[in-house]
Amino acid sequence: MMSPILDINDLYLSFSTEEGELEAINGLNLEVEQGKIHGLIGETGCGKSVTGRTVLGLFDSNTMIKGGEILYNGDDLLSKTQHELQRDYRGNEIAMIFQDPGSSLNPVFKIEDQLDEVLRIYQPGKKAERRKKMIAALNAVKLPDPERLLKKYPHQLSGGMKQRVMIALNLACQPSLLIADEPTTALDVSIQAQFINVLKELQKEIDITILYITHDMAVVSEICDQVSVMYAGRIVEDVSMEDLFNKPVHPYSKLLVSSVLGPETNIDNLVEISGSVPRLINPPPGCRFHPRCEHMKPECKEEPPVLKEVAPGHQVACFKEDLS
Amino acid sequence: MNKKFLLNRFGRTLLTLVGVSIIAFMILHLAPGDPARIMLGQFATEENIEIFREQHHLNEPLPVQYGAWITGVMQGNFGYSIRYNRPVHELIWTRMWPTLTLTVSALVLAVILGFTLGILAAIKRNSWLDYITTIQAMFWISIPAFWLGILFLYFFGLRLRWFPIGGMAGLASLVLPVFALGLREEAWFARPMRSEMLEVLNQAYIRSARARGIKERVIITKHALRNALIPLVTMIALRLPWIIGGSVVIEVVFAWGGMGSLLVNSVLARDFPVVQAILLLISFAVVMANLFADLLYSVIDPRIRLED
Amino acid sequence: MEDTLTYEEIKKDIDNLKQEKTSQLALVWSRFKRNKLALIGGIIVLIMVLIAIFAPVLAPHDPYRTAPLRRLEAPSFEHPLGTDAMGRDMLSRLIYGARVELSIGILIILFEGTIGITLGLLAGYFGGWVDSVIMRLVDILRSFPVIILAMAIAGVLGQGVYNVVIALGIVGWTTFARMVRSKILSIKESDYVEAARSIGESTPSIIIRYILPNAVSTAIIMVCIMMPTALIASATLSFLGLGVQPPIASWGSIISAGRDYLLQAPWISTTAGLFIMFTVLGFNFIGDGLRDAFDPTADRS
Repeated sequence: MMSPILDINDLYLSFSTEEGELEAINGLNLEVEQGKIHGLIGETGCGKSVTGRTVLGLFDSNTMIKGGEILYNGDDLLSKTQHELQRDYRGNEIAMIFQDPGSSLNPVFKIEDQLDEVLRIYQPGKKAERRKKMIAALNAVKLPDPERLLKKYPHQLSGGMKQRVMIALNLACQPSLLIADEPTTALDVSIQAQFINVLKELQKEIDITILYITHDMAVVSEICDQVSVMYAGRIVEDVSMEDLFNKPVHPYSKLLVSSVLGPETNIDNLVEISGSVPRLINPPPGCRFHPRCEHMKPECKEEPPVLKEVAPGHQVACFKEDLS
Repeated sequence: MNKKFLLNRFGRTLLTLVGVSIIAFMILHLAPGDPARIMLGQFATEENIEIFREQHHLNEPLPVQYGAWITGVMQGNFGYSIRYNRPVHELIWTRMWPTLTLTVSALVLAVILGFTLGILAAIKRNSWLDYITTIQAMFWISIPAFWLGILFLYFFGLRLRWFPIGGMAGLASLVLPVFALGLREEAWFARPMRSEMLEVLNQAYIRSARARGIKERVIITKHALRNALIPLVTMIALRLPWIIGGSVVIEVVFAWGGMGSLLVNSVLARDFPVVQAILLLISFAVVMANLFADLLYSVIDPRIRLED
Repeated sequence: MEDTLTYEEIKKDIDNLKQEKTSQLALVWSRFKRNKLALIGGIIVLIMVLIAIFAPVLAPHDPYRTAPLRRLEAPSFEHPLGTDAMGRDMLSRLIYGARVELSIGILIILFEGTIGITLGLLAGYFGGWVDSVIMRLVDILRSFPVIILAMAIAGVLGQGVYNVVIALGIVGWTTFARMVRSKILSIKESDYVEAARSIGESTPSIIIRYILPNAVSTAIIMVCIMMPTALIASATLSFLGLGVQPPIASWGSIISAGRDYLLQAPWISTTAGLFIMFTVLGFNFIGDGLRDAFDPTADRS
């Protein structure tokens, strides 16, 4: 097996809030393999977006790293200073697209200026060359009439166009890993499909690794090769996309998959059936899913289960005897 | 840009200008009693007062008087100074440049200092620099301009003898008045700049620019600052009346021969044609600065400029 | 659906909304108490108010008794802050000055408050052309620098305490009017008023019932916010010779008188200025604390 491009081990992370310490990430283990589109799925508030931002060191001021390591090609990113992250990793190695395309582009600069800024850093060249590259970048994300688009300000574009500009901007950095944090959540369904197709094609073309964070099972089924299911700050199952839908093992994954048969694929709306996400200030002990679990056993309340391999490329964290 | 917005804005400006001129004109008629006697003083003879009334149309109804005055003003004729016995516009013309020099220099000092401190305080949030910026701003806004002027005059003029204590002899005599006026004003730019920068630095586009590996220095000076400056341009225009107001007392303290000291002397001497003219000119400048700020705002913010 | 609600149910809703508001005020108060600068400001203001009230007890000498032989004396045990050009005790004059300045400040706020609140109420309540006319008037007055227009008016009216109050009141009411108007507009749009109106209460009575319970705290807040400008502006007028006249002890006129003796007796102008600065600073600290308490997200959280 190839060594993973991103390997997060036993990550613990808290936020200090007025009500107390919020344990957002609690012993997270995640391996992302080179060249794959790896899905990270979970409900809102399970810590998946925080995980993405932590890889790049983009913390809010109340963030406390409690332990663990984030290895990128073997280097621990948590031991780097902000300056080292900026110089050596952000952009040129790892880039990130955020949820809200509306506010992710600087409103006072033209698309041209924002693209050119990135090109000057990562693909320096003459002005005419950079211009060609800008047009190529916008063509690559299938944006019509790039010449005219370059002269526009962000507020003159639609949400879907802005998000495609965001891809162009991030790919212009020529990163090896792209973290996409719910990039389609704010978009209409038809625009979503367009966006996902663009991203999929580009991924094949330039052989980039993508960590795709989402709470939409339909999106997962369309784009991902491998999927990690996250629940309350931990990964509960790591599985290939086919196996997730054909033979999910963890009770939570089963719940997700069973519900995706209906028209509602946003898991925020469907898992409410069996109780809500636990509060992460004083969370339940042991396996955090146990209050909602139908297979609950006494040891589930004792300590959290670790990920065990049940088949090649398929890991589950559960005390259930019959792990299949 | 939006035509309706522009038309509306110009209409309001025109209305304000008319209102401002009426107030400047009415100042004289505010007091109980005869304006002619107020101006000439209690020892004037009846005959002189009658002549004065004739000269200044004081026997006509108020609207006619206003009409005569404003027509003159629009032709550049502000009447005659009673005290100096010279045309008002001549007096003001020579006094205008010292005042402009003083207020513009003070404004530049205040903006540079205030913006710098505000930006630094926002970047180093909750550091000692941040607290000092906040507290020094509170001190400045609590100090009356005339007292600060006197303190400067005492320490740097009389005691240390670094600068002249008054008059308008070259650049050195400009230093104390400009600092007395500008330092206080800095507070009004530092705090809004700080909170504006803090707000902008929290925006998603800043995080997304960081994720692209753009240098922190570029993030601050280009991405954040361009956005934070948009509302602060308006702030500069809003502070203009206060800087001009402050300049009046500073001119008195440092014997600076500008419009401010002319105004104070004219008020004390009841030389109302001069008072009316200065009131009108200063408020005119304020109204125009506000209009300019609004227009500039919509030019530098592409979200407003490119609206249809 | 809504018209099936009974009178009692709506009444209860209104009470709930009121309670929400009260607890919100309690939250504001608890945030305010935690603000150290606001506490310091409160102490400074309290001290100044006490000095003003107990001036006759606190002043070591008669502030008006002149002593030509003891003029411009440096601070000593007998005259802790020295004497002025007429041999009067500076400390006593400054203590009495607190009385003069604070009363003028309060009079100005009462005067401008009366005009501003009335016009603000009218503008907010009636809207339409009444609102337009009043707000245009506000625009026009705000086009003049406060001190310059006040100077001109005071110049016409002549010197004296009451003319200072009138001049600054005529110029300063616009801030009050704007605050009151926006408050009325926000009340008019609140759920509480919708509910009260649906059970047939008239808008004026709603506004009164809405405002009265908080009238005292609102008044204190307004005084703290308006006081710095009133104090500095009235002191400036006195300094320019357009306000309080000697021999009345006002801080502004003391600074003005001390100007002629800066080298021989620098304590006259400097100490009087310190009194103004600390009083204004106290009010500014309180005002700033109030602003943070009402809108904690606007500044440091």
